[in-house]
Amino acid sequence: MSDNAVSCHSAAPERNLADDNPFLNGLWKQNPVFVQVLGMCPTLAITNSVRNAIAMGLATTFVLTGSNCLISMIRKMVPKQVRIATFIAVIATMVTVVDYLVKAISIPVYKALGAYIPLIVANCIILERAEAYAARKPVFKSTMDGLGMGLSFAFALTCLGTVREVLGAGTFLGFSVFGPKFEPWLLFLLPPGGFISLAIWLLTFATWRERKAKREIAAAKAEAEKMQSVAVHA
Amino acid sequence: MTPTVSMIKVLGTVSLVCGALIVGSNIVTLARIRHNQEFIMRESVTQLLPGLQKQVIYGYNAAGDLTILPSLEGENVKRMFAGYDASGKFLGVVVEASERGYADLISGMYAYLPEKKVVSGFQVVDMRETPGLGSRIGSDPKFAENFQQLDATHPIKAVKHGTKQNPWEIDAISGATISSRAVGRMLQKSVQEMSPIIDKNLDRIKRGN
Repeated sequence: MSDNAVSCHSAAPERNLADDNPFLNGLWKQNPVFVQVLGMCPTLAITNSVRNAIAMGLATTFVLTGSNCLISMIRKMVPKQVRIATFIAVIATMVTVVDYLVKAISIPVYKALGAYIPLIVANCIILERAEAYAARKPVFKSTMDGLGMGLSFAFALTCLGTVREVLGAGTFLGFSVFGPKFEPWLLFLLPPGGFISLAIWLLTFATWRERKAKREIAAAKAEAEKMQSVAVHA
Repeated sequence: MTPTVSMIKVLGTVSLVCGALIVGSNIVTLARIRHNQEFIMRESVTQLLPGLQKQVIYGYNAAGDLTILPSLEGENVKRMFAGYDASGKFLGVVVEASERGYADLISGMYAYLPEKKVVSGFQVVDMRETPGLGSRIGSDPKFAENFQQLDATHPIKAVKHGTKQNPWEIDAISGATISSRAVGRMLQKSVQEMSPIIDKNLDRIKRGN
């Protein structure tokens, strides 16, 4: 009996906190940019400064959280034939609301984000979360998923914006980093710089995830060997 | 209930709720948005006319008739701002203008001194030019120096960087030639359109009525 219990325990994968927590899952494990590689249009276009990246990240977070919440609320009433039309209407509404809000809060930020605020409606992360999560899960979990995914997206944009602004303009949030003698690498403010920065971050995350996976496999192997030796001795 | 009726009912309800949300947020934010836009515009006018204490907003039509506007409301109204110092002395006018740039429309405001017939300042209000290249038309101090005393008696034009010889020429930014030339065209077109209207109404503008 005790042997059975041991073997069952070792065979089952260790439950990760993020699996049960939609917020943490969205925030880290399924990062929309670095893991799922979604929403590339704003990711590459808007990250030429940290301020723009944060503003776009927060605007997307608002839309994701709001649309996930509303879609989850009405999920049982919507016939499957008009599901996509309903989701798009809800998402477009949230985008229009955020458009007004950004314009009311800061005109310079609104001007900097330009056409990319209305384009949030076409961001695949939002429809993907509506379809894959909010249409199936209860309101609280869906809201948390939207919040986690949105903040994760904002984090990824800020990472990219930091590299591009620091190297491309020699500043961080407008404050000089390297002093007046620094010659900025303009390339990082242009579209190729977006691709290069994204590649650097994707490589960093992929390497980190690979090493983490190797460590977990090694730890699982060591645990299995330990259990085996305990069983042999018993 | 048939599926068709159910679909129409759901879509109708969702549209109604979405419409209410959009209209509601528009009503809530409208005053703030107008306030922000007006603030930015008035700030630009203040920066373009140093010493400004009072400003009068004029609307004008193609025939050159002026009307005093009580506020900045109305998006399709052609406007100009007349500035006065503390003693009520006329300083100059600030005019809105726009021209197609490299990426999109460049909108700007420039100060014009009708008695001297010079452009005495220029600011970009809105643009989508390439960050780090074309966008320098709004931030490059050397480029801004072009507009300190830009002669408007000759056709204004942007020339290649380092080849400026005349006071009516704009020294383009290297790497932002298309955007610089767009600014030159914008000023030339606008001055050509505005100077007869301003000259015709100069006495009235000076009095501020």
